[in-house]
Amino acid sequence: MQPTVAPDRTEEISGKEVAEPDRPWLVIVWNDPINLMSYVTWVFQKLFGYSRQKATKLMLDVHYKGKAVVSSGTREKAEFDCFRLHAHGLWATLTKSD
Amino acid sequence: MPEVKVARDGTVEVRLDDQEADLLRSLIKEIATLFEAGLPRSDPVVERLFPDAYESRKESRAYRDLIGDDLRSGKKEALAIVETKLGNSGDATLSLGPDEIDAWLTVLTDLRLAIGTRLAVTEATMDEEPDPKDPDGAAKTVLHWLGWLQEMTLAELTKEEE
Repeated sequence: MQPTVAPDRTEEISGKEVAEPDRPWLVIVWNDPINLMSYVTWVFQKLFGYSRQKATKLMLDVHYKGKAVVSSGTREKAEFDCFRLHAHGLWATLTKSD
Repeated sequence: MPEVKVARDGTVEVRLDDQEADLLRSLIKEIATLFEAGLPRSDPVVERLFPDAYESRKESRAYRDLIGDDLRSGKKEALAIVETKLGNSGDATLSLGPDEIDAWLTVLTDLRLAIGTRLAVTEATMDEEPDPKDPDGAAKTVLHWLGWLQEMTLAELTKEEE
């Protein structure tokens, strides 16, 4: 877990992302016992425009490794992606990459 | 027996007999009540349907303030779409265009998450054969039926893709 280095959100948006372009925010999907594998694959294809092959690989990573990074980018993008995943019932969180 | 098929224009048609349609109507009413009631965040179903976006509680709260009611209202809209398609009584044939397919799969997912979380299912118990003596047996059967509906819908969508 990342320490909270910038509790002030406004400051972070204005300065930090520009200063550290190499550390994007990551969207992680976690394994859950209820969602169907076919549904999770479909959601990845639909939300991120991934090929069937890429979406299936990510789904299998979630299933067998317990989690997978499914998208990354600015904090705004990561939060938007996380929101859409929650809207589709997937268990997602975001974090700043190491 | 429900029947799902995709038309040439990509519309998905879901046929439910009156018992199946009634079951879905009552499940939708139940989850709609849950969305309205504003259950405490400590409720496992609420936690699962409206999960934290960050591992830190503080950042999750800030995120929740940011999105406001958007997640809940989106889920309610999806319910309303499916509810309208189901009609008030009797059997139902749902004809679903692209946006409505999304609502349909989302509603099936939210119902499955609510039931599955309430039953505290795990990957092992999900695959178990139903036990007639199990007091949760009926709920488990519903959970699998909803999954089957979703699986059939996805199979049709995939067929269209190929």
